Amino acid sequence: MSTWLRFLRHYGPVPRNDNMYDETIQRSARRQGIAPIEFEHPYQRRIEDCFNQATADPVSVILTGTAGDGKTHLCRQVWKALQGKDEDWASDNPYLTINFHYPKDRQKWPDFEEPGLYRSVKIHFIRDLSGWAPQQGAEWDTDKEALLQKFCYSLFNAEAEELFLIAANDGQLIEAFRRLKDTDAVKKARRVFEDLLVEDRQEQAGVRLKFFNLSRASSAELFDRAIEKFLTHPGWDELKQGVPGENDVFGPKCPIRHNYELLGTPLVKARLRSLLELCDYNGLHVPVRQILLLLSNAVLGHPDASQHLMLPKDVPKIIAAGTVSKASLYNNIFGSNLSDIRRQSITIFDFFERFQIGYETSNRVDNLLIFGEDDDHLGNYFKTFIEQDSFYGADDRFYAAKHEYIEGTSEDEDKDKEFLDMLVAQRRGLFFKIPKEVEQELKLWELTVFKFAGEYLDEIVDVLKCGAVVKRPLVSRLVKGLNRVFTGMLINSDRELFLATSGNYSQAKVSRILVECVSVEPSKGEKVILRFDPSSGRVLLSVFFAPDNFVDFNLTLIRYEFLSRISMEGALPASFSKECYEDLLAFKSQLIAAYVKRQAKEEAPVSSTIALTLLSLTEQGTPDPRAVEMMP
Amino acid sequence: MEQSSSMWVDEAIWGHRLYDEQLPWFVFLEFLNVFTHEDDKGRAFDEQGKPNELKYRAAHRLYLRNILFNNPHLPEIRLSYPNDTNRWDEWSRRMKSAATGLNHPEFGFLKDHFHSFEDFCEVVSLVRSTSLEVNSNKRWTSKFVFPYGRGCLYEDLDNSASTNDRRFFGRTGEMLYLMLCRTPRKQELLAALKERLAKTDSTWDSIVRCLQPTADEDISSERANAFLPYLSHPCFDDLADDWLALLRLKIPGFDVYPHLVNLAGLHMVKYQLTVSRQLLGAATPLALICEVVAPKKTLVREVSCDLYQSNNLLPAQAVETFIANVEKSEEWQRAITESGAFEKCRRILKQRVRWGEDYDGPSDAGELISRLRQDAMKRHRQHVANIHRNYGREIGLVSRRGTVKLRYAPTDSLLKTLLFANVEKRIELHQFLARLHTRYGLVFGDKEAEQVLSKDEFDKKAFQGNSRRLEQRLGSLGLLRRLSDGCAYVVNPYHTEVQ
Repeated sequence: MSTWLRFLRHYGPVPRNDNMYDETIQRSARRQGIAPIEFEHPYQRRIEDCFNQATADPVSVILTGTAGDGKTHLCRQVWKALQGKDEDWASDNPYLTINFHYPKDRQKWPDFEEPGLYRSVKIHFIRDLSGWAPQQGAEWDTDKEALLQKFCYSLFNAEAEELFLIAANDGQLIEAFRRLKDTDAVKKARRVFEDLLVEDRQEQAGVRLKFFNLSRASSAELFDRAIEKFLTHPGWDELKQGVPGENDVFGPKCPIRHNYELLGTPLVKARLRSLLELCDYNGLHVPVRQILLLLSNAVLGHPDASQHLMLPKDVPKIIAAGTVSKASLYNNIFGSNLSDIRRQSITIFDFFERFQIGYETSNRVDNLLIFGEDDDHLGNYFKTFIEQDSFYGADDRFYAAKHEYIEGTSEDEDKDKEFLDMLVAQRRGLFFKIPKEVEQELKLWELTVFKFAGEYLDEIVDVLKCGAVVKRPLVSRLVKGLNRVFTGMLINSDRELFLATSGNYSQAKVSRILVECVSVEPSKGEKVILRFDPSSGRVLLSVFFAPDNFVDFNLTLIRYEFLSRISMEGALPASFSKECYEDLLAFKSQLIAAYVKRQAKEEAPVSSTIALTLLSLTEQGTPDPRAVEMMP
Repeated sequence: MEQSSSMWVDEAIWGHRLYDEQLPWFVFLEFLNVFTHEDDKGRAFDEQGKPNELKYRAAHRLYLRNILFNNPHLPEIRLSYPNDTNRWDEWSRRMKSAATGLNHPEFGFLKDHFHSFEDFCEVVSLVRSTSLEVNSNKRWTSKFVFPYGRGCLYEDLDNSASTNDRRFFGRTGEMLYLMLCRTPRKQELLAALKERLAKTDSTWDSIVRCLQPTADEDISSERANAFLPYLSHPCFDDLADDWLALLRLKIPGFDVYPHLVNLAGLHMVKYQLTVSRQLLGAATPLALICEVVAPKKTLVREVSCDLYQSNNLLPAQAVETFIANVEKSEEWQRAITESGAFEKCRRILKQRVRWGEDYDGPSDAGELISRLRQDAMKRHRQHVANIHRNYGREIGLVSRRGTVKLRYAPTDSLLKTLLFANVEKRIELHQFLARLHTRYGLVFGDKEAEQVLSKDEFDKKAFQGNSRRLEQRLGSLGLLRRLSDGCAYVVNPYHTEVQ
């Protein structure tokens, strides 16, 4: 009955999480008779299409990405698509080959199976380059080196009759090819890999290669697919069909069951997805392996269990000990069941930690948690979110600690700390309980470090993705923030973008010399707009100087937050100010360069005077430009 | 050759001279004065086969300097006199008596350039805002307008604004110039430097010229006696390579100058330490262990402090060795056995280090050279010994941040300079670290540290943490692209594809 849960545990943060490797999971799944959690990777179709009838002139493919992105899994899908044998794949050999037929006419597949129309092509699978290449410091094996030389050669020669599918972490890829002998083809190949990697491209003209960096896949999309298969895995059905006792695993009091059910609620799913989506927009990629680890830990986590993950036999003991609340899904999502060191070493928890959920708060939320019980207005919220949550809401311990905290006379800091820890857990709970309708009222996103994250997703990303226009006040706010950074003054203007310099240093903190004002509303080719770039999945802030002269700025969540805060509060939030500030100054340099480019097309005015516009502000922060003229 | 009677020890080792009070920006300004003069004569970076015979003149531009730095009247006049004509009149009246160094001060030319006194005030405040040392308590004759163009170049002057007293233009800029004359890439460098100077926006130079009469031809007498002891040195070549790399980037406008200044300072420090070590016969290359500032004390910090201390002593040790070498020389050894030993030794010292004229101690060769040692050390400590510390701090290499002891802890600005000079387009982080090590002896990561430290000093983890922090810092400056575990590229955003 509980085989599934034991199997599931292997996806979690256990030292030997075998289910994390495609090679081992296939084996253990066969052994235990349990189907692994499998879903179609967003890139799968495109990768298969590189080898099947979708192409008459196939080229080699490199799959790269970080650990746990599903490289081996995707290789296996291609192997299957090419009718490779399972038992060959099951061998330990990191290098396999297969023959496949492609049409001699490289334009299209023939309509009939006449053998004379086909050519046989050998496809080399290096499914694990680092396992196959020599250890660092060791010499290349002659055969292997020759094979990679052949690969490099094939990239630049259309008549080469062999194809390659190579899977490797990006670091290992670069490393392995750097150690090859410096032939022309190798040098060229290295350059290509580096360009494709750093510039985020999939192909390069004249190179017979498709390059898939799995780390560019959307974490949110991976999450959608993963949670669907996770929640509907047949393993759960078996548990649901049982008739367990009250204190048994998957019984009415079982935290595993409760966590599983919570995870299935639309609200929890949506919030988790938001967090992953926000990671994407901050340029943090979460690999498949980490998403499965998150889900497994969310359901099974408990700080007192062995390896901090519950086994079926633990459940009755936990219920008896009254520590069910420590199995809270809301805490497990942030890895709180793990030791600090262990948690910090895990990518997904490191990323989630950056939201500071549980530690960030607002007066309103803390009033709700501490005084909400007897409050006319907040009382209902307290009841719904805290009181009625019999698993992870307010239990006797919470009420007692709260009473002690408010009324208590003891100076015992440990007691206060205990209550403060409970508050952390409750705030985390609130983050997953406050429904969309009252998100604004309760200021949900103030529970994170990114106060404007909700707005970013709803009013910017979603709006742009469906082709609509972002509300004017939001654009104005960003423009005001940009103006404040660009001039170094607390300027309040938001209808135009003020490009200013200091005269001798484009990165100066205060810039008083106005170079140009760019209209935000479309005017004579100038405009400032927000748009979504589907190819990179990024939100761009684009400043147009002319229809064919514009500069894009990747408006990540963190930059959006930074500009919004500067605009609303005037202050630079110290925690992430420096990085954003540098980025914005670099952006200003690009804008000035674009302006210069536009002006270069204009005929230089024949003028005997030098005119400067000096920027100062009125007390209200309105710019008060003043023209100064000199006659040299 | 210099005829001055002062001692010639530091000078013989490093040149005439490394001067700690002339901070790198002033080194650069002095260099620009020399360079422009020589370029006008058509012989930039060319000693024409006669080393150390550089002679040049520099402008004084005292109208400009009086207006900018010896003129506290503007705000008050603007307040007290509402009428434009009255303002001009009152200001001219005051300046006539207050302006220093001008024979017949006459500021009437300004009215031809400005519509109003108000405009004039705005421009003065603007030009001041980008000037160098403008807020320091240096004398007004040692404040400098930003080098927007030739109209902005002049030399440092004494309090009465009459001559260069070598207070802040202590010839280190001349040394910088000579170094660049003595590298094989000087033609390329000349072309790149001239192209860069020609490309900068001339508006600001024109504005600064509006503050000077057209016929301000006041120019210094001939400056001579620059001296650099080596006809070639790898340090000179490294400097030239770095400047060339920077000049070829597409950094906008004047933004390249601070980096050239940083590099000038860094290479002066490197030159001083390298020459010292050569003199001392050190077998290992120079090592500067750099801490990327950590919140807590780390082992890297300790090692860096220790190395800083020992490097700081190198120049003084070099001076001692230099004198010991004189004593060990065949000439000296022969002299002390002959009759009239004292006088012979004294002659040797006069000839070799221009010292001994005023010596009034016992007539004994041993006493004589030990007095030289004392005098030389005393003199060395006053200025030359401080280059490592002062230049190091000024360019952001040496810092005391987070501790009481000095150590190498590069600032963001220096990291940027290093990156721009050493990364053409992009390279992997570990290659960048290796390059910084081979070229400057700078050590950040564990691989480099392992090569320079002994087993008991080396802690792999500490240095891995150090390079991780460097990676984060470069990332936060937008200069690093992390791909995934174990693969990060350092990127130069100003790279231009070479045609």
